[in-house]
Amino acid sequence: MKRILAQCRKELAQFRRDRLTLALAFILPVMTLFIFGFAIRLEAKNISIVVQDLDRSNLSRRYSEGIYETNQFVPVRWSGSDPLDALDRGIGKAAVIIPSDFNREITAGKTSTIQVLIDGTDVNNARVIKNSIQAFTRSFVQNQGLTAGTSKIIARTRLWFNPGRQESLYIVPGVFGVILAIYPSLLAALAMSREKEQGTILQTYASSISAAELLLGKCLAYFVVGIGQALFVIALGCAVFRIWFVGDPTPFIIGTGIFLIASIMFGLLIGVRANNRSVAVQGVASAGFLLALLLSGFIYPLSNIPFPLSLVTYIVPARYFIEISRDAFVRGTGWAGVWTAHACLTALAFVLFSIARRIMGRMQLPG
Amino acid sequence: MKPLRRLIESRFWVLTVKEIGQILRNKQLIFLLVFPPTVQLLIFGLALNPDVQNLKLGVVDYSNTPMSRELVSALTANGVFQVDRAPPNEQILGEQVRRGEVTTGLVIPPTFNRDLKSDHSAEVQVLIDAVDANTAGIASGYAAQIINQFSQKLAPQSSAAIETQATILYNPGLVSSWFIVPGVLGLVLNLGSSLVSTATVVREKDTGTLEQLLMTPAAAWEIILAKVVPLFVLLLGEVMLAVTVATLVFHVPFRGNFFLFMGFSGLYICVGIGIGFLLATISRSQQQAILTSFFINLPLIQLSGAIAPIESMPRFFQILSLFNPLRHYVKIARSLLLKGSGLDVLYPEALALTAFAIALLAISTYKFRTQLS
Repeated sequence: MKRILAQCRKELAQFRRDRLTLALAFILPVMTLFIFGFAIRLEAKNISIVVQDLDRSNLSRRYSEGIYETNQFVPVRWSGSDPLDALDRGIGKAAVIIPSDFNREITAGKTSTIQVLIDGTDVNNARVIKNSIQAFTRSFVQNQGLTAGTSKIIARTRLWFNPGRQESLYIVPGVFGVILAIYPSLLAALAMSREKEQGTILQTYASSISAAELLLGKCLAYFVVGIGQALFVIALGCAVFRIWFVGDPTPFIIGTGIFLIASIMFGLLIGVRANNRSVAVQGVASAGFLLALLLSGFIYPLSNIPFPLSLVTYIVPARYFIEISRDAFVRGTGWAGVWTAHACLTALAFVLFSIARRIMGRMQLPG
Repeated sequence: MKPLRRLIESRFWVLTVKEIGQILRNKQLIFLLVFPPTVQLLIFGLALNPDVQNLKLGVVDYSNTPMSRELVSALTANGVFQVDRAPPNEQILGEQVRRGEVTTGLVIPPTFNRDLKSDHSAEVQVLIDAVDANTAGIASGYAAQIINQFSQKLAPQSSAAIETQATILYNPGLVSSWFIVPGVLGLVLNLGSSLVSTATVVREKDTGTLEQLLMTPAAAWEIILAKVVPLFVLLLGEVMLAVTVATLVFHVPFRGNFFLFMGFSGLYICVGIGIGFLLATISRSQQQAILTSFFINLPLIQLSGAIAPIESMPRFFQILSLFNPLRHYVKIARSLLLKGSGLDVLYPEALALTAFAIALLAISTYKFRTQLS
């Protein structure tokens, strides 16, 4: 225990002296928080739309004005004859063509068909556009009294946990996970590989400290730093994006601790494997980033990841932490809903620690 | 033959041959050019999938009549919703949504069938877990639409007054990888060109061979050009590799002109090399260079529209992204591949890229030269 504490104290002293790393440890996370938190939005607002009204009747004008009033679309001027050109040129994301017999057909009691062209390049928003134009058309028919009776079945839709469908509520708790997955492990990997690069690791091999004690000492030091990073980033995130715990915060607080240990262990493991600092940084940057960003359910639901790749998601610690974090800030179930995530995180942290210990132990002098 | 001979005998040629030899011997560099791009393309293309499919649906059917069962099968017909469980009452359904076991719920009241037979309208409850705001929005749109269609079928005498016929252009099947992969193509090219060019310069600085190069009679421009040309060719190879993966694995269409695309890619490689050289000149060691590249590449990638669309960003970031060369390249890659656009549409982006390439190369060679002399 004494040796662990000594190792920890030495590591913290070294960390404090290195100005560049110290700055990186706090500036990079804040930068990531702001860029990810503000710039990752999946659903487009103010979609540019071209309406070609071939009818020019009162009804068709009401229809096209109604589209703009949904607050989701903004009109773009298009003087050409074929609205398809507007989409080809990327001026509009969608085009609505109202046929010339629109009013006539409807007053005659027949069905008039409106053609909608949608730019499918952005797959997600193509779906959003299609749904909202169809929903608008349905409500237009109802509001204008164009249908005989009211709809036979009425769906009362309730959106749980996030009734305003604020995307920041989904993204920001996830950003906490991505940040705490990458930066604490980056620092740990740097510390470990520095010892190897500068050869000071040989001294520890020759000394009486065991591999486990060395790893735990370093882990403890970066755990302290990681707690600082976590408090800083989460407090800032809560203040800027106006989110707060909706239920019992203890699962989140304990989960953050376990997750920090898991990501520091991941960094130490990379550091043990890498021979110099640039390889270590690249290892954390590419592996950590890809895993935490893409295979953690941060952007799109985990269930969309196809089969062989979906197995990999089970060993990504960020996946479990993001689940805990979203529960704490949006869902609010508490322990009953997320305890399995804590169990998986603990197991992962332990597995990472044992692998790092085995690799290090092999290099150490016996006795 | 004469100009060819003069080229072969020139210092520039000798330096180029030296650079090529160095690059080919550097296994790590070749690895860096082949392995990460392929893995990144594959993982990004497979993992970033916005599909709204097979959402777990919990059904509480108090009515339990053929009509209510028909409504459930209408909801599940096109694969958006999938009945996962049928809890006995609303409380248990609510609990299951809360625990995240099901993401959507449908409650059909006991009076459903009776209401439909009489003149009343029947009310059903749809619950959607909106933690994932985006998926919830699309799912609720689908649910409303399906229930509406079902309801219309029940009253065939009153056909809808307006129908919309939606046509999705460029990607009619809404294959998600067609959106992600061309974006990642830009991301991969950006990372590849900046990292590799930083590495070649910094290594020379680290080992001190840069001083030796300075002792030779070669001019600064010859040293720089001899470094750029082989990298340029290698990175063009990387583009070909990435395009092959995109078209073979993900079946992304290539509707535009191939040579135009390679031309734009060449332009972006110049931008990337410029960024890499700049990084190398401002940092003292390889570690510093890699850490600073974090600072630069992270915002470049996030504000490029490769992962999340630019249109949905706040106004401030949209304007900021105009100063991001990667944004223009991603736009070009998407338009060229999916829409088959030509220079007549893409000229603003082409101009922007050219300006970035010239500015970055000029600044970095200037800095490099002042360091050399």
